[in-house]
Amino acid sequence: MNQETSKRWVAVVGNPNAGKSTLFNALTGLRQRVGNYPGVTVEKRTGTAYTLHGEPMELIDLPGMYSLSVRSPDEEIALKVLRGESADLPKPDAVLCVVDASNLERNLFLVTQVMELGLPVLVALNMVDMAEAQGVRLHPDELSQRLGIQFIPTQAHRGKGLVELRAALGQKLTGPGPRRWTMPPPLAVAVGQIAAAWRESLPAELRAEGKALELLAGSNEGPEGARKLAMAWRERFRKEAYDWSAAVVNARYAYLQNVLKEAGVGVGMSGGNWTDWIDAAVLHPVAGWGILAGMMMALFVSIFSIASYPMSWIDGGFMYVGGWLQEVMPGGLLRDLLIDGVLAGVGGVVIFLPQILILFFFLGLLEDSGYLARAAFLLDRVMHRVGLSGKSFIPLLSSYACAIPGIMATRTVEDPKDRLTTILIAPLMSCSARIPVYTTLLAAAVPVALVPVWQKAGAMLGLYILGTGTAFLLAWVFRKKMLGGGSPPLILELPPYRRPALRTIFLRMWERAVVFLRRAGTVILALSILLWFVSNFPRTSEEPSAKLAGSYAGQLGHWLEPVIRPLGFDWRIGIGLVASFAAREVFVSTMSIVYHVGGEEEGLIEAMRKATWPDGSSIYTPLTCLALLVFYVYALQCLSTVAVAKRETGGWKWPAFMLLYMSGLAYLGAWLVQVIGRALGF
Amino acid sequence: MASHVHRFEGGALNLTQVGPGTEVRVSRLECAPNTCQRLREMGFCENAVVKKIRGGADLVCWVCGTRVALSARLAKQILVEHVDGRS
Repeated sequence: MNQETSKRWVAVVGNPNAGKSTLFNALTGLRQRVGNYPGVTVEKRTGTAYTLHGEPMELIDLPGMYSLSVRSPDEEIALKVLRGESADLPKPDAVLCVVDASNLERNLFLVTQVMELGLPVLVALNMVDMAEAQGVRLHPDELSQRLGIQFIPTQAHRGKGLVELRAALGQKLTGPGPRRWTMPPPLAVAVGQIAAAWRESLPAELRAEGKALELLAGSNEGPEGARKLAMAWRERFRKEAYDWSAAVVNARYAYLQNVLKEAGVGVGMSGGNWTDWIDAAVLHPVAGWGILAGMMMALFVSIFSIASYPMSWIDGGFMYVGGWLQEVMPGGLLRDLLIDGVLAGVGGVVIFLPQILILFFFLGLLEDSGYLARAAFLLDRVMHRVGLSGKSFIPLLSSYACAIPGIMATRTVEDPKDRLTTILIAPLMSCSARIPVYTTLLAAAVPVALVPVWQKAGAMLGLYILGTGTAFLLAWVFRKKMLGGGSPPLILELPPYRRPALRTIFLRMWERAVVFLRRAGTVILALSILLWFVSNFPRTSEEPSAKLAGSYAGQLGHWLEPVIRPLGFDWRIGIGLVASFAAREVFVSTMSIVYHVGGEEEGLIEAMRKATWPDGSSIYTPLTCLALLVFYVYALQCLSTVAVAKRETGGWKWPAFMLLYMSGLAYLGAWLVQVIGRALGF
Repeated sequence: MASHVHRFEGGALNLTQVGPGTEVRVSRLECAPNTCQRLREMGFCENAVVKKIRGGADLVCWVCGTRVALSARLAKQILVEHVDGRS
């Protein structure tokens, strides 16, 4: 037996907002691995934790869910892992259920379902401090006794209760006992019969009952006899208009209410606490929108003001290394490759890391504080007008960071047409990879460097609004006109406002930084070297601009120029457009390489400002910069997004449609900017 | 469950028709089966006591110790009765 399989595997499950990820982070720290489940893009997060005796165990952080009734792809994956049906993970040895102590009734609903899977269950009674502050009385020992599973009070955000949890996870856990909630009579008969047919292959009574319920719900797995019985009972219930699934939910809740009452656990009622006070402003039909706009503006201002310091340090660092290489290396191809290819290419992208991290920091703050759900609530009315529900807001907001996690987050959208529409418009949200392109082009467009920060932020916000506005307009076209059908109603939990767990946010930022730098060190490095090669060879001349014009890249750019000329773009921009199909930020590194090859010693922006057409007129006029900006707002210049969309939609049809409509939109938008701009005399 | 069904036929009260701050008991759900199931799992099961916190185009309720936002369209499909038995 190898070390992987001999390790204990513990699945971590819980309702959304129960503090599951905070607890997972507290137990595993930086010993985490983020990947995907095979064949799908649901993020798979595993990490190593240690028992009090130092024995390692692998924790699997499953997507948050309210029940085991599968309605979204996220829930399907979670259920597969719990049943041991996941292709690359062993069946868990135990399940750690994280429950919000202030919301026990609903959180324990999922726990009762998990218990029926037959695995040993341990409950982390999380956020006990907040529950007690709300007047909820907790009696963990009473709960343990009544439910037959161990409850351990924790405060994950403060690191409290972790020792006890590690100790409990180190012990040999036993499976839960028989079912304790009472099944209503007609259903009990049906489940008893179906379970009996199962029991030949599945001796555990609790598990057989769980399987019987799954068969009634429409599952096709199991012995033929059990399946036939389930079908007959389903038909009978339908004829008798008996809603058996409602009966199961109601019976579980009735049991839990009774358990909580007997265990002396009080349930706090809402009224006058500070979450309600904040909500009065945040959800206000007028003030709420002002707060949302203010938050977004603060985000963009900080992306420019705070990030400028670390960006200048990174820039200085790369310049220092470039200068040093210039001094110590003899002139030649290798030095050119390192300075003009590798440093210009990788450095041109790495410099934007601070802005991307600030974006993720803000998104983390908004999510962890509980505000993000309010924003979704506020936007539901708008989303509803275009045929979507507020639930699409979170994937769309994530897409401001990157369309890939955004498209992955659409797995929480239950309605398939809503999900498809959200996927189709997600890349129109300006992602962090566009930040380098926008920043460079805005700086090139405005000749004076002393533009106030708020004006830059305002221009940037304008680009974001353009992308978002178009996305909403197209959502209406796709959802209401193309796909048809009504949009699903909003059901959304609004968690209480909490102080965000900075540790969790920093861990997430760390993960993103690693992903970004890995990409800079692999894809972008490789493309930078390739670009350097294609823009330096074949060497037809030693004169810099003639050398570039005669190179492979130059030939491609010239071939493309007639197509992009109506947009005001020259062949060098053409090289940038083609190269940035790999990833948008590659545009900046390409331009760095293209212009450094051209012989200019100045920085990229200076070089772009000085670039001219053969007749001596400037290429990067404010109008052309605007056309190029509009092009980048709309164009699907990201192969990874196409690949993710292919996996998520299960074929090439929709990604191809996405690529076509976005490229068409980009071309049309840029052309309109030129035509209208010229007509207005710019 | 059946007793509630008979009681509210005709003049049933739905969740949009009660004022903010009112506590009501869920008597029946009239939405699509999947939506009904989700609502129940979120705590809106028959006989559950729910407190409406905010009204408007979309509304907020307090149920099972948490705030849940619902669209008004959906709230119209949640039939309720006053906790004290008034309809």
